[in-house]
Amino acid sequence: MPDPYLQVSALTKSYGSVTALGGVSLDVEKGEFVTFLGPSGSGKTTTLMIIAGFETATSGTVKVGGRSLSNIPPHARNIGIVFQNYALFPHKTALQNIMFPLNMRGVPAAEAERRARAMLDLVGLSDYGGRWPKDMSGGQQQRIALARALVFEPSLLLLDEPLGALDKNMREQMQIEIKRIQKSLGVTTIFVTHDQSEAMTMSDRIAVFEQGRIDQIGTPQEVYRRPSTPFVARFVGDSNLLPGIVLDPEDGLVRTEHFGLLRLQDRLPSAIGAKVTLMLRPESIHVAEPDARGAADRPNRAEVNVHTIVPYGESTLLIGRSGGADLRIRLRAQEADGIGSGTSLDVLWPASAVHAIPAA
Amino acid sequence: MRLLPRLIGFLVAAFIAAPLLIVVPMSFSTAPSLEFPPPGYWLGYYAAYFSDERWTQPTINSLIIAFGTMLLTMLLVTPATFAVVRHRFLGRGIANLMLTMPMAMPHIVLAIGYYSYLGDLRLTQTHIGVIIAHTALSVPVAFLILSANLKGFDRNLERAAMSLGATPLRTFWHVTLPVLRPGFAISALFAFIQSFDETVVALFISGRESETLPRKMFESIRMQADPVISVVSTLLFAAVVLAILMPVLWKAVQSRRSRSGSGSAARGNGPAITGTAPSDTNPCAPARVQLEA
Repeated sequence: MPDPYLQVSALTKSYGSVTALGGVSLDVEKGEFVTFLGPSGSGKTTTLMIIAGFETATSGTVKVGGRSLSNIPPHARNIGIVFQNYALFPHKTALQNIMFPLNMRGVPAAEAERRARAMLDLVGLSDYGGRWPKDMSGGQQQRIALARALVFEPSLLLLDEPLGALDKNMREQMQIEIKRIQKSLGVTTIFVTHDQSEAMTMSDRIAVFEQGRIDQIGTPQEVYRRPSTPFVARFVGDSNLLPGIVLDPEDGLVRTEHFGLLRLQDRLPSAIGAKVTLMLRPESIHVAEPDARGAADRPNRAEVNVHTIVPYGESTLLIGRSGGADLRIRLRAQEADGIGSGTSLDVLWPASAVHAIPAA
Repeated sequence: MRLLPRLIGFLVAAFIAAPLLIVVPMSFSTAPSLEFPPPGYWLGYYAAYFSDERWTQPTINSLIIAFGTMLLTMLLVTPATFAVVRHRFLGRGIANLMLTMPMAMPHIVLAIGYYSYLGDLRLTQTHIGVIIAHTALSVPVAFLILSANLKGFDRNLERAAMSLGATPLRTFWHVTLPVLRPGFAISALFAFIQSFDETVVALFISGRESETLPRKMFESIRMQADPVISVVSTLLFAAVVLAILMPVLWKAVQSRRSRSGSGSAARGNGPAITGTAPSDTNPCAPARVQLEA
């Protein structure tokens, strides 16, 4: 088994008594698109800055292609970075900005211009080479910054919340655009964001950061369907977290505090009587057919009293109360028609929708 | 009634500006001493100014000293500003205070101090002596302007440059310096003007050899009310107005140039763009805030 392309091992970073990173490790394969997802202050940007060389780790190593970066200054690391504010040089035109890394590497002017123009074509701004950054829109500046970070064929591309400053439509457009360019060049990419939908749509894998550690690394589906901690379940998507006690691990049976018995599809790794948190996504809950009665006695079924209705357009979020706890239910907009505040609902969900998060 | 406050405002402004403007007609006057209104007009005193070595030599001295002061000031202030703004070190607060203190100090106190200090070094009555003393006065102004500019500088630009392969030195040369150029220019200009204007220290330190223009003017008006003074004043006034207007003119020229012949770099651009890259960041604005604070 060959070494992973990017290998981050046990990174820590302390500022005096404050710990910013408490041991971050991850491996990234060549050509992979990995997103660092987490709230601000969770250590994702610090990790990125250590990889780039602008911060030094208190301990731990970063290797690219088997080579340690520890003693290599930022300018010799051959890593492309796109900053949130783009950081285009205001005294250079778009083309001159893109040519800058080639000039620094002593590429002859004619070849540098040819390669820079090829990048302009790639990002779809062929006619904008002569513009000054201040005369371009946010999305255009973003593309120029991306072209500048890629023109010298970096061994790694780092994107530090590059879409944060764009409006919603432009952000979605750039998500697709960045993904397309990344795929066509096959460059190994680390993308930092606090926006979970961005992470879901763009990544091969997501690393969820919490308080200076990685809680979970996995594909978007894995992270969404089988979060390994309550934090991941809350941060990625909407969720119901139901504390309970294991009744029968073989049979996947859990007694919850507020929603009676829940049955899981898989067997539980915990022993009888162990504490467990169950996660149930709001969209996997359905309204039961009106004929069936006796909700409280059966597993995966509850009677809730709706008290809040939040329409989202294509779907509607209902928050109902049962046994002293709230349950979040997301229905298709038509299904929610006729449900008002105070409506009593009989809801159920499949065993496959329940995921157990072992107590830490 | 909005007319009255405006009228008062105008009168106050006129009262302040009048002495500035009164020297202009006086410089063209035929009167043998300073007199207003002038009895007649000629260019005789301009000829006198430009042909009399007792006036041209101090002018040259002033230019040499102001230029030297500007150079020395910027050489000292540039590293000092980067150190104080960007780094935390023991004595940073004291360094900051020392750099700005000469501004609060009465010039006469500094003049006496420098008079005895430079006297011991045998540097009074030399260009070097005046340059050293003037640099002490110029440093605070240059430092305040430059540090205000540096504080507003986006450090991600430097990070970007380094990630793109520029060594720290090349980053400074290709990115930091060009982006901060307006700040450096304003800072240097103020250092120059500070020295060119300065009278009190010059009275004490500059001697016959290194006599500056303000000192010559002061002595001239004390001895006899020589109308050449009004010529010098008019020329200085014109020079200052020109210096203030220069950035505006420069911008106009730049935008015209980029509009007419933007060449290969601007291939396929619409007519809407006008490229005046870094000069539009008004470097004076933050500095002024600083000075007032």
